[in-house]
Amino acid sequence: MLWPAMTQLNFQWELLAPEFILVGWAGALVLLDLFWGSSAGLRTGRIGKEPLGYLAAAGAVAAALVSLFWIGDHKNFADLIDVNNYTTLFRVFFGLTAAFACIASARYVKDRLLHPGEYYALILLSVVGANGMAAASELLTAYISLELLSFSLYVLASYDKFDLRSNEGGLKYMLLGAFSSAIFLYGISLVYGVTGSTHFNAIGEVLKGDTSDIDMALLLGLALMIGGLGFKVAAVPFHMWTPDAYEGAPLPITALISALSKSAGFALFLKLFTQAFLPLIDDWRYFIAALSVATMALGNLVAIQQQNLKRLLAYSSIGQVGYLLMGIAALSPESASALVLHMIGYVVTNLAVFVCIIIYYNWTGKEEIKDYAGTAERAPFLALCLSIALFSLAGMPLFAGFATKFILFQSAAQEDLLWLAGVAVFFSFVSLYYYLLIVKEMYLGEPAERTRFPTPWLEYGALSLLVAGVMFVGLYPQPVYDAVEDSTATIFAAVEDSAAVSERP
Amino acid sequence: MPDIREGFVWAIMLLPLGSFAVISLLALLGLTRPPRGGGAPVWNARFSGHLTIMAVFAAFLLALWSLETVIANDNARVGFGAHEWVTVGLLHVDIGITLDGLSAIMLVVVTGVSLLVQFYSQEYMRGDEGYNRYYAFMSLFTASMLGLVLASSVLQLFVFWELVGLCSYLLIGFWFHRDAARRAATKAFLVTRFGDLGFLIAILLIWSQTGTLSIAGIQEVALTGAVSSGVITWFALGVFAGAAGKSAQFPLHVWLPDAMEGPTPVSALIHAATMVAAGVYLVARFFPVFASSEEAITTVAAIGSITAIIAALLGIVATDMKRVMAYSTISQLGYMMMGLGVGGLVSAIFHLFTHAFFKSLLFLGAGSVNHATGTFDMRRMGGLRKYMPVTFATVLVASLALVGVFPFAGFWSKDEIMADAWDDRKWVFFVALAGVFLTGLYVGRMLILTFGGEYRGGEATEHGERHGEPHESPPVMLLPLLLLAVMAALAGFANINDDFSHLLEGSVPERAHALLTEGHFRLWIAFASVAAGLSGLAVAWAVYGLKVVQPESVRNFAQPLPEILENKYYLDALYEDVIVKRGLLGGAAILLSLWDRYVIDGTVNGVARVAGWTSAQLRLAQAGQAQLYATVVFLGVVGAIAGILVVNPP
Repeated sequence: MLWPAMTQLNFQWELLAPEFILVGWAGALVLLDLFWGSSAGLRTGRIGKEPLGYLAAAGAVAAALVSLFWIGDHKNFADLIDVNNYTTLFRVFFGLTAAFACIASARYVKDRLLHPGEYYALILLSVVGANGMAAASELLTAYISLELLSFSLYVLASYDKFDLRSNEGGLKYMLLGAFSSAIFLYGISLVYGVTGSTHFNAIGEVLKGDTSDIDMALLLGLALMIGGLGFKVAAVPFHMWTPDAYEGAPLPITALISALSKSAGFALFLKLFTQAFLPLIDDWRYFIAALSVATMALGNLVAIQQQNLKRLLAYSSIGQVGYLLMGIAALSPESASALVLHMIGYVVTNLAVFVCIIIYYNWTGKEEIKDYAGTAERAPFLALCLSIALFSLAGMPLFAGFATKFILFQSAAQEDLLWLAGVAVFFSFVSLYYYLLIVKEMYLGEPAERTRFPTPWLEYGALSLLVAGVMFVGLYPQPVYDAVEDSTATIFAAVEDSAAVSERP
Repeated sequence: MPDIREGFVWAIMLLPLGSFAVISLLALLGLTRPPRGGGAPVWNARFSGHLTIMAVFAAFLLALWSLETVIANDNARVGFGAHEWVTVGLLHVDIGITLDGLSAIMLVVVTGVSLLVQFYSQEYMRGDEGYNRYYAFMSLFTASMLGLVLASSVLQLFVFWELVGLCSYLLIGFWFHRDAARRAATKAFLVTRFGDLGFLIAILLIWSQTGTLSIAGIQEVALTGAVSSGVITWFALGVFAGAAGKSAQFPLHVWLPDAMEGPTPVSALIHAATMVAAGVYLVARFFPVFASSEEAITTVAAIGSITAIIAALLGIVATDMKRVMAYSTISQLGYMMMGLGVGGLVSAIFHLFTHAFFKSLLFLGAGSVNHATGTFDMRRMGGLRKYMPVTFATVLVASLALVGVFPFAGFWSKDEIMADAWDDRKWVFFVALAGVFLTGLYVGRMLILTFGGEYRGGEATEHGERHGEPHESPPVMLLPLLLLAVMAALAGFANINDDFSHLLEGSVPERAHALLTEGHFRLWIAFASVAAGLSGLAVAWAVYGLKVVQPESVRNFAQPLPEILENKYYLDALYEDVIVKRGLLGGAAILLSLWDRYVIDGTVNGVARVAGWTSAQLRLAQAGQAQLYATVVFLGVVGAIAGILVVNPP
């Protein structure tokens, strides 16, 4: 028996509708760009293809909306791709994330980059990859999705082809990414060799039965997979690409890497480790906990030293990964929900930060922290939003950062990892220091000029939505948590279901 | 009067919050901005002041109603239901209101002092370009403190606790064009938040051990001994770390003297009713928990004692009038912690109550002096008794209350603390007595330098107006001074019938009553403390007034003590230079940064370079690069395998 579904040829293609929409839309954007007219005038900024960005955002939102159709379903495409609440949550989340990235790109791309059609098409394709990572129910599909996401991002990271930093960052990202993929693939082959399956549930099944001896090959495979996924989410010591890629990539792409790539990595990490490797939790728990400590420590301590805002955010995002890894180390239904909740809060907040930085960059072309001196006087709304977002990242109450961090830390404390929660609390105190540096510069610094900046209404609209999200999650996380809990419940339920199936003769 | 309803209690907090929201909204819409180029604000600029005062006044009336309700309720806790906020897995967070003697007293103090400060600020901040911003932040500050006092769950309390810290950051850095103000604001925020680390960890600890976040629930757990005493001790110490940060206890007291950089009315509010009072309130709120752990309560007593003495010593050498008062606040907070440390919940809160009046009076008096002379440097004052009789008289009342001279307010509350100390831990009593002498000394010095002798100069005020002769402040500023002076003189009689004690005892669970120390009034203690205070004043009079000995020669005689004091025990240097700059920034971060930049990037880049060279030579670029890049990533994977093997020896 090769592949049970293949013999029947009755795939439920409609389950992949959101992905078809994204791919089709991406193709349409490329064609549209082609027939729009010459791009020769783009560099001068007069002939803009700004609406392409809004169209791309509309496509991403459309895919997100269509995926809502499967709320509450437990379907599976060809035994490869789950369509359940977990998938739906991430489809919506990734779609909206990409939509914000596209909106934030519109003016930036018009002013600075060539070939906008391909740019937006690649963003939409990266969402297809990210969706696949969250939806995959077996390793090879997960791997292919991961590569689709990664390759889209490699190209996007070096999209500013006249900028050396962009080229360097993109190249480093791609070379290291390729090796980490190879490592991940090697890990897959070892796990397949030991367990005889690439399906998450089947692997979990085999591992559950076998508690006697720990197979060295299995452990090696596990370690290699942690390395591969650790690269994707930028956990220390697999984080080296992050600062260069962040600094070099065009700003909206930096936002996309920090939001989409990281959360897709965690979506897969969480699903894989819940469905396949949960039985071995005692073998990897303390290792992940150690990774988590190293990641928080390095990210937060090095961030203090940064002068460039993008590099600072790169290290601060590494620090945030440290907190998120706690959720894996303390893997339980509660901590999985807490992890996803914190990730959503983090992504929303981080997008708000990036939208602010992109607006500021569009005004001034600057991105050093000291360039933000006196922003409060020149753009009070921007300064307010950026401060709220930064205070949220630092974990101040009222904002998303506090509520989601508290829920995450308490879920770790509940799994006897109170010491880890304590370390995390300490490092979030450290993080306040460098976030304050930016706030201080904006409010307390002397502006270079006193003129007000023009108001970018559309970007401010997107920013207001994001900040409203930050406040909402901070003040009343319940609805978001309920949605998250519904979705993570399905991956834990899958673990139990497969147990029930295997008991049948 | 009928019992207050829950909605009205919430309104106590929501009224100032609403005033913050309205002012912010109007400011965002650009409706309250003073005209460009300075000058008197347009008519609607004063609206924010009026709105804040009205909101706080309404809150004050509601606070009185709450107090009345608690008294009518036989001093017992008024039961209001809890409202579910979030349920997340096993974590269940309710929000609600704690209304009992303790919170009712705090409500009255906070709203009362805040009301007078807001009223006074109308004149003090007149013409400042940040007038609206000032009132917006002050409203938020008051609202956060009220929210903190009312919270029924420790998480709810923590949220407001952090908000209080955030507001203090905004207000201390209010005049942000001054470098000192910026530094002070950041320092205050970071130092207090360092203490909050302990608090947050304590919350996580107690939640993971008991599964409750409600304050009443935690008290219950501590009293019944449902969890191990180790957990209770660690929880109490964590909470105390938070309290020590906010209430400026040694060794986290360093932010408070610098916080002077904010506008003076802000200092009055910080020092009397909000912020620093929060720490004492927190320890008092968790008193049953502290009292169940011998280690924790001893720590409170010891830290309180150390703080009371070291801060009083610093007060003797400071030359800035507001700094003297800041050290005096730290020292008095030490007294409150001492009181709590000897089981004197009643005496500590009573001292907080009386202290709120005389300390805010002292600050507002200092503001009045600054309004007249343009300086806080006492070396440039002198002789102000003649020019500012009302300010002098009110500050004198406050000073006598601070030293604890009969029958002013401070006498009664300090005496209760000392009585409790005598009955519980005698060493605390002697520390307290020494502290009273030192208090007399620095207060006497401050009074003589400021109001005695001849006028010695002055300079431009905090916000830039120039003055010739010092003059008495306008009535808008004097009225709050006079009202506070009446309270500073008479507030001590509030507990003459033990009404105050009964009110507070009702806020402690029945089972914990045995943990309270009932200090008995002893005439000799009263005499001893008054004598200590008066002798402190007398020494100050002899040195600075009569000049029996020259202050210089005393200074020389006592070396190196004065030098240590003038350098504030070198603590600032220790924290800023050694720990933060060299330790955290200099050491760890640079090391890691270098590691990241040179070792990892360097390996990659250097490897690329070597490989590039090799490729030119051998045309094996791809192979060379690939292997070496992979090495870097593989290092981590090898670590992963090693790590897993350590956990699982084969």
